[in-house]
Amino acid sequence: MAYQLYRNTTLGNSLQESLDELIQTQQITPQLALQVLLQFDKAINTALANRVRNRVNFKGSLNTYRFCDNVWTFVLNDVEFREVTDLVKVDKVKIVACDGKKTAFETDVV
Amino acid sequence: MSNQLNLPQVDSNQVPKLYRSVIEDVINEVRELFLDEGVDEQVLMELKTLWENKLMQSKAVEGFNTEEQAALQAAAQQQAQQAQQATQQAQTQQVLLPPQQQAPQQQVIVQDPKILQHMSATGMSAATTAATLALPTGIGPYQQLITSQGQILQVLRAANGTQYIIQPQQQMVLQQQVLPQMQPGGGQAPVIQQVLAPLQGGLPQQTGVIIQPQQVILTGNKVQQNAQVQGGAAPGGQQQQQQIQQQVQQVQQVQGGAAPGVPQQQQQQPPMMLQVDGAGDTSSEEEDEEEEYDEEEDEEKEKDGEDGQVEEEPLNSEDDVSDEEDQELFDTENVVVCQYDKIHRSKNKWKFHLKDGIMNLNGRDYVFSKAIGDAEW
Repeated sequence: MAYQLYRNTTLGNSLQESLDELIQTQQITPQLALQVLLQFDKAINTALANRVRNRVNFKGSLNTYRFCDNVWTFVLNDVEFREVTDLVKVDKVKIVACDGKKTAFETDVV
Repeated sequence: MSNQLNLPQVDSNQVPKLYRSVIEDVINEVRELFLDEGVDEQVLMELKTLWENKLMQSKAVEGFNTEEQAALQAAAQQQAQQAQQATQQAQTQQVLLPPQQQAPQQQVIVQDPKILQHMSATGMSAATTAATLALPTGIGPYQQLITSQGQILQVLRAANGTQYIIQPQQQMVLQQQVLPQMQPGGGQAPVIQQVLAPLQGGLPQQTGVIIQPQQVILTGNKVQQNAQVQGGAAPGGQQQQQQIQQQVQQVQQVQGGAAPGVPQQQQQQPPMMLQVDGAGDTSSEEEDEEEEYDEEEDEEKEKDGEDGQVEEEPLNSEDDVSDEEDQELFDTENVVVCQYDKIHRSKNKWKFHLKDGIMNLNGRDYVFSKAIGDAEW
């Protein structure tokens, strides 16, 4: 089972919304929608691990931090994200990070 | 490392390709699941289309269109222009959506000579006439919508003093209401309202009457509304007439006798949320009759309490440390979703070693395979 972490992204949310619309019009069952999301989890995890190869640096000030159930959640202020080419500045950013070790997968089955 | 993969140097170019490959993977993998459940391939294609359209609409990804969809959009815009010319010849008045708000599935074509006669009878100018929309019977399941940006449209009154808005819920309905999206940046969002004479003979399949002094967002085949809405198949003309009468009365009361030339409802432009946290504010902008009444009650109570008590809000406001309210006004919450390799802290100096992340910053999407950060707490 791959992390369901990436469902709350543009890509994941648009998929969930689309699935919800199809459920509303009863074109698919909620069970099928769930299967699709699980498949999405696998696909996005694989894609990120294999098809992305770039580094980003960032710095800012840490507003809050939380470590619960092996998930880190940070809120940073006045952050600069720097890539080779781009610089992006934000006043506030929330970072949610799951354990990156390969042995640490989620085990909860919906 | 960099030569092996032949990746473009700019990360923002990676994102569309990555997303597209993920979509393809997912769709292909679930095709079997769909077939196992006996769901048609067409539904799968619909899922893919919905998914891609939402991504395009979010504008979080640049240059996301495939060639097909770019052609589709171009064709849709051409269609809109042609429709506009055609309907202008038929003396229909119509408004054009700005391209970014136009989705191929949502274009409204206006054609209805009956309505035209009625509209011209009320003597309105081209600039202020609401768009009247009719759905030609040849059109497929997706309804089409065309509205202009920044154009103020007013409520039309029929010759007999009633006001109508009709929203079709079936494809066969000949008249349709167009309601553009809210424009948070603009002061007044255009609201198109449709006034139709009771065309009893002409609309046997009229399915619903909706009076919408406020905005309604039309998304796909769903409509989200925050005012009175009545829909459903109308078995007969008379029943519709009664419904229309009831709603007209409500609208007239709600609008409080708005002058015909003044788009009053656009001047009061509350957000689309109903207030559920009590009546602490003094402006009652809700157009729902009942809520207005309740708020008046609450205001009276508050006035009575004002002599002896401080208002609710300032009571505990000194306890708040954070400045969340200002930040909540932002359009996007900037979020990074990723995995951590190592998180390190020394006194108040934190170091982050992250990987495989998707970021949404200032409305745009970025990805990274590795991210290193520093912050002071």
